[in-house]
Amino acid sequence: MTVVTNIHHELREAIIRGKREAMEPLIRKALSKGFRSEEIMNAMMIPAMDEVGDRFAKGEIYLPEMMIAARTMNTGLDILRPLLLSSGVASKAKAVIGTVKGDIHDVGKNIVAMMLQSAGYELFDLGIDVAPEKFVEAVKTHEPQFVLLSALLTLTMLMMGETINALQKAGLRGKVKVGVGGAPVTERFAVRIGADFYGQEARAAVIKCNKLISTVE
Amino acid sequence: MENMKPRERVLTALMRGVPDRVPWIENDIEEGLQERIMGKTDFKPGELCKKLGMDGFGYHFPMGGTATAGQAMQAAVGFKESYYYPQKVTFDFVPPWIAEMGAIPETGRTFIKRGLLTSNDSLKLFDEYLPDPDHPERYERVANWIAQFKGDYAVFARIRLGSASMIESMGLVQFAYNVYDHPGLVKEVHRRFSEWSAKVVEHLNQMEFDFYWVNDDLADTRSPWMSREMLKEFFFPYQEIVAHAIKKPWVFHSDGNLLPILDDLLTLGMSGIHPVQPSAMDIKEVAKRYGQRVCILGNIDLDYTLTLGSPEEVDREVKERVTAVGQEGGYIITSANSLTDYCKTENVWAMANAIKKYGKYPLDQNLLK
Repeated sequence: MTVVTNIHHELREAIIRGKREAMEPLIRKALSKGFRSEEIMNAMMIPAMDEVGDRFAKGEIYLPEMMIAARTMNTGLDILRPLLLSSGVASKAKAVIGTVKGDIHDVGKNIVAMMLQSAGYELFDLGIDVAPEKFVEAVKTHEPQFVLLSALLTLTMLMMGETINALQKAGLRGKVKVGVGGAPVTERFAVRIGADFYGQEARAAVIKCNKLISTVE
Repeated sequence: MENMKPRERVLTALMRGVPDRVPWIENDIEEGLQERIMGKTDFKPGELCKKLGMDGFGYHFPMGGTATAGQAMQAAVGFKESYYYPQKVTFDFVPPWIAEMGAIPETGRTFIKRGLLTSNDSLKLFDEYLPDPDHPERYERVANWIAQFKGDYAVFARIRLGSASMIESMGLVQFAYNVYDHPGLVKEVHRRFSEWSAKVVEHLNQMEFDFYWVNDDLADTRSPWMSREMLKEFFFPYQEIVAHAIKKPWVFHSDGNLLPILDDLLTLGMSGIHPVQPSAMDIKEVAKRYGQRVCILGNIDLDYTLTLGSPEEVDREVKERVTAVGQEGGYIITSANSLTDYCKTENVWAMANAIKKYGKYPLDQNLLK
């Protein structure tokens, strides 16, 4: 069992410390020890990234540490992806994310995207200033389980409601869970516009998606 | 009774003294809102101050043109010429973003599509983008505007320490990676922006500005974007270049939660901190911990109160802030960022009226109950 402990530990350390060049040899090593790609992702890598996310949410580490850990995680996922696909393992879920129409701020949105991706989600990032119809189009094209809307301005957060209405009109609202976040957004506002959840910070968005995953198609 | 001139009122509070009334001054009032308040674009800065009962000005004004959105002056294309020969009244001395810019067609609001300072090779873009900080024309024009418009008002120039310029011209994500991948590039970019600002400040020190408003966002609502150790290694040595050049009082502005790094930041020697965003920091805690060291500016909420709230809610919030942190002076009331053009006009008037009602020293404790 020492081997198991070591490879877990080594992968965990590589992710937490952002050592992306270590990922390929470590994943090879894990595979050569008989671990399946799914096990490596779910039992070794995602728990390490969860730990990073928790430490970031608690203010124990800061953006640069979190970002290099997420980048390392994504390097590992890129290596594992062909193996996961060939063994019939799909991504955890799909999510479409964007900053709503009229808003140009993307810092928070990018952090959420990075953390979701490194938590095993397949992400479709529509960027900034995304009109409701673009979200509708993306939902039709990618068939995600989640739609995540970001806004930094009081002015533009009202567009979150418009986007939800557009999904409703297109008959897509029941097919996705909609999450909202951003500095002026509150739980109360999220409820008022008919969103399914509100993420106060990036880690909360990941945790809420994880919780809701079993409730979506 | 109010017996101080606006400039004295601002400078007294900035030095943590007790003026005759809590001063009101804004880091920016977007031009669309200025136009709504004045009903025209051809007005002088002092006329806007007088109408609102505000104690000073800086930023930019639509006089000489049409009202435009906030960051338009920072567009990189053609920046040098518009920097040397501004067509509209401005008191801004910030470098351009070295970035690919975009604009939202409906509003004209510009934004950064992508930072361009991503490699050592890209450092040559500094020559292409940065104006000559010693070019005399902008200083002469602004000196004329100060002479024409200052009157009894406090006038400030907006500058940067260089931190926001570095982060935005690199991109926040790239900055985060570069802290580990190319630490030397992060330091070099910051050094260049800071040295540019320091040269500008040497000129501004000779002009009739009363203080500087130094805008460098370092945080979001959750936390700063760097640890104390990173602050000391990647920011401080370069921020100090500008801080040491400054020979007037200055206000430091950063959005977000600065509490984890505020002890360190204050060693730069600023006179005030702004805007103490309500969603990020508790102004009572900030005042309790730091009110003996710096003037506190800000905290009238922009996420809800000024933009979506009612005049009654604005009145209540002004009263609460004056009660909480204005008791012993050292407080300048402002919005928790700037007065954006999506603030309700009636709420700006409610803020103006509430400051007059509750802000007079000695504070009327019965009124504040």
